[in-house]
Amino acid sequence: MNAHANAPGGTSAVPLLQLRGISKEFPGVKALDDVSFALYPGEVHMLLGENGAGKSSLMKVLCGAYKADSGEFFFKGEKVTITSTADAQKLGIAVIFQEFSLVPYLDIAQNIFLGREPKGRIPGTIDRRKILAEAKGLLDAIGFDIDPSVVVNTLGVAQQQMVEIAKAISQNARILVMDEPTAALSDRETELLFALIARLKADGVSIVYISHRMAEVFALGDRITVLRDGRRIDGVKPADVTPDQLVRMMVGRTVDMTYPRNFADKPGEVLLQVKNLTAPSGISDVNIEVRRGEIVGLCGLVGSGRTEVARAIFGADPIASGEIVFDGKPISGEPDVASRRGIALIPESRKSEGLALLRSVGDNLVVSALRKLFPSGLFDPRSGLRTADGLIRQLRIATPSARQTVGLLSGGNQQKVVIGKWLAAGAKLFIFDEPTRGIDVGAKSEIFALIDRLVAEGAAALMISSEQVEICHVCDRAYVMREGRVAGHLARNELTEENIVRLGMHHA
Amino acid sequence: MREAAVVSQPNPLQRIPGVAIVLGALIILFGAIAPGFLTPANLSNVLVQSTILTMLALPMTLIIMTEGLDLSMGAVLTLTSLCVAIVSLATKSMLLGLGAGVLVGAAFGTVNGWLVAILGIPPFVATLGTLGMAQGLSLIVSDAQSVVGIPHSVRDIYSATLLGVPVPILLALVTYVVFHGLLYHTRFGSYVFALGGNREALRYAGLSPNKLLIAVYALGGTMAGIAGLLMTARMNSGHPTAGLGLEFDAIAAVAVGGTSFERGNGWLLGTLLGVIAVGVLRNGLNLVSLPSSVQVASVGVLVIVALFLDGLRSRA
Repeated sequence: MNAHANAPGGTSAVPLLQLRGISKEFPGVKALDDVSFALYPGEVHMLLGENGAGKSSLMKVLCGAYKADSGEFFFKGEKVTITSTADAQKLGIAVIFQEFSLVPYLDIAQNIFLGREPKGRIPGTIDRRKILAEAKGLLDAIGFDIDPSVVVNTLGVAQQQMVEIAKAISQNARILVMDEPTAALSDRETELLFALIARLKADGVSIVYISHRMAEVFALGDRITVLRDGRRIDGVKPADVTPDQLVRMMVGRTVDMTYPRNFADKPGEVLLQVKNLTAPSGISDVNIEVRRGEIVGLCGLVGSGRTEVARAIFGADPIASGEIVFDGKPISGEPDVASRRGIALIPESRKSEGLALLRSVGDNLVVSALRKLFPSGLFDPRSGLRTADGLIRQLRIATPSARQTVGLLSGGNQQKVVIGKWLAAGAKLFIFDEPTRGIDVGAKSEIFALIDRLVAEGAAALMISSEQVEICHVCDRAYVMREGRVAGHLARNELTEENIVRLGMHHA
Repeated sequence: MREAAVVSQPNPLQRIPGVAIVLGALIILFGAIAPGFLTPANLSNVLVQSTILTMLALPMTLIIMTEGLDLSMGAVLTLTSLCVAIVSLATKSMLLGLGAGVLVGAAFGTVNGWLVAILGIPPFVATLGTLGMAQGLSLIVSDAQSVVGIPHSVRDIYSATLLGVPVPILLALVTYVVFHGLLYHTRFGSYVFALGGNREALRYAGLSPNKLLIAVYALGGTMAGIAGLLMTARMNSGHPTAGLGLEFDAIAAVAVGGTSFERGNGWLLGTLLGVIAVGVLRNGLNLVSLPSSVQVASVGVLVIVALFLDGLRSRA
C-alpha cells in the first residue's frame, strides 16, 4: 500500500519522517522484515501488533538504539542515517520509555536538563536560578503545575511521565515515541496525558504511540500501522476499520504447524483449582481449574498477569485472598511446599531459574529429587546416575552421557532436562511459562509430544504462552488474562487466535 | 487543565534522621558518664580527631552513591602518609611531601576507578585488591619501620591554630564546603547522583558514565592523599599501619549518615554527622577507659542502630 495514500487529508504530503524497507535480524529471529513507515507532522500514529510483532524493535530502530540491517530513513524528504541515539536526538526524535530515564534523587529541573545544565558563573557549577526558571517554563507549557525543585523520587508514575515528556520537549523533540504510556496510569491520569497529547499535536509534534488498548487506538489515533511477525501488514485510518478488522490483521493465519496431541475424550479428576485468587502482584479474582490429562492454556498479553498467576500457584509470590486447592487439599505457602506436593514451575528463563548450567545433566536431573531418592541424606552417586540415565532414556534427551554439562545442550534438550528434573521429583502438575521460547521448530514438537505423554499418564499441564498458534494446537482449552483478571475461557472448539486476541485486548 | 501537584515533600523533622538522634544520644550519654567529656578542650579534640575521617568519608559518600565502594582508602592513606613523610624528610618541604601524597593517592584512586568502570570488576573486589597492593607498598617503602624526623612544617599543620580555631578543624570545614558545593551545585555532582540512580540517563544525555566513575574514585584517592598529610602531621611520623581500618570507619560514617547503597541516594551532611558520631563514640569510650577492641565493635553497633532508626522512620 502506498504510504502517501494515508496522509492526513489537507496537510502536507511530505512525511516528517519516513522509513523504507527496514529490516533487522537477530540470531534466529527476523525482528523486522522490510517494514516501511511514514509519520506526518502533528499526527498521532498508532503502532499495533501482538507480542513479538516487531513494535519494540521498530521503536528502537527509530531512536537509534538498534541499527537497522537494511533500509533507508528520510527526514522531511531528505535521506538521513540513524545509527545512534545521538543521530535520532539531532533529528528531534525522543522516546518515552516505560522504564523512565530519570535519576531518582535529582530534582525535576536537573533531570530535564541532565547533561545540558545552564552554566553558572563559577566553572562547573549550575545556574540554579536559570535552570529552575527554564524548567518551570517547560512544565507550564505542557500544563504540569509543579515546583521544578521537587525531587523526582517523590513523584508518582504519571508525574514522572510528565517530567519525561518535558525533558523530551526541552530537547526540541518533534517526534515523540510512546510505548504503552497509559499502562501504569489511572483513568484520571490517562485523561491528563491525552489532553497533553492533543496540545503537543496542536504544536505540530508527531507522536508514535504503541498501545494494546483498542479504545485508545480509536480515541487518539490519526492513523494505524499494524505489524505482525516483523512485517507491516497494513496502514489504515481509524474511521475505515472496526476493532474486529484490526484484530484479524494482527493475528496470522499463515502458520501451518501440526503438533502431536492426543486429546483426551474425558479429562480426569480436578487436580488444581484456583478460587477467587487475588494477589498483591497484580492479579485479582482469578478462577482456574486444571484436570488430570489436560493441557490448559493461559494466554494474554505480556503483563496481563499470566506469570503472576503461575507464581502465586507455586507459592513464589504471596497471595492476598482466595484459595488454591491442589489434589483435593488446599495449598498455600512456599515453593518448597508446592514442589513437595507435586507442582512444578518451569520458568521462562530456564537458564537463570531452572538449571545449573555448569553442572552435569545428571546432577540437574536429580537435584529436585534428592530428598526422595536419598531419604537418609547420604548421596549415592551410582544410584543418582541410574535415575538420571532412566530419565534421559524416557525423555529422549540428546546427550552423550549424564556427565555432559547442561549448558552445552541445545535449548530443546535443556528444556527436557528441566522437565525431567521435576518428573524425578514426582511432579503431577507442570506449569510451563513460555516453554518453547528459544527452541527451534523441530525441538518444539518434541517438547509438545513429551508434554502430551506426561498428561496422558495422568499428569496435567498449565501452559503460559505468547505463541497463540501453539496454544490453539496443543491445549484442551484456555483461559485468557487481561489486566490481572481472567477475561474469558475458551473451550477446545472456541480456541482460535482471533478469540484469544479479542479477549486479551481492551474493547471498551 | 492543570494538575495540582500532590507531592509528599519530606518533612524537615523527618529528615533529621537516625544519625542526629544517635549523635545527640551519644553526647548526652557521655556527658553524663564520661568525666571531662563536655569540656571545650575535649570537644575540640573530638573534632580535630575527626578531620582525617571527614576527608575520607566525604568522597566515600560519593563513591557509595555510585553504588560503589572503596575498601582501599585506609591502606592508600597509609601509603600516602608514608610518602608525605619520606618526601618531606628528604626535601625539607611540606608542599613537596603533600604533592607526593596526593599524586600517589590520585593514582590509586584512578586505578580503582579504571578497574571498576573499564574492566567491570565489582568495586568490593577491585578495591580489596588495591588495598592489598597499597598495604604491601607501604611495607616496602617504609621497610616496615616508622619514618621519623619529619620537618616542623608538616607537624605544625596538626597543632597550629588560626584565630583560636585548630587548623585541622578549619581544613575539615573547607573540605565539607567544597564537597557540598561539588555535589549539590555542579554538573559533576548531578552526574554522581545519576551514576547510582540511572546510568542509562547519562548515556542518553551524551555523557560517559565510565569517565565520571573514574573521576569519582580518583577524587577518593586524592582525598586520601591530602588526609595522608594530616595523618603524618598528627603522628609526627610515617607509620606503616597508620590508616589501618580507617575505611571501615569511613564506610560506617556514610552508612550511619543515611546514605543508602542504592539508586544514588546520598546525604553529605549526614555523613559529616556520622563522622562526628563515630568520633564522639571513640572519644567517649576512651574516656571511660574501654579498650579499643570495644570501640571497633561499638562502631558496628552504631551503624546498625542508626540504620534501624532510619528504617523505622521510612516505614512510619
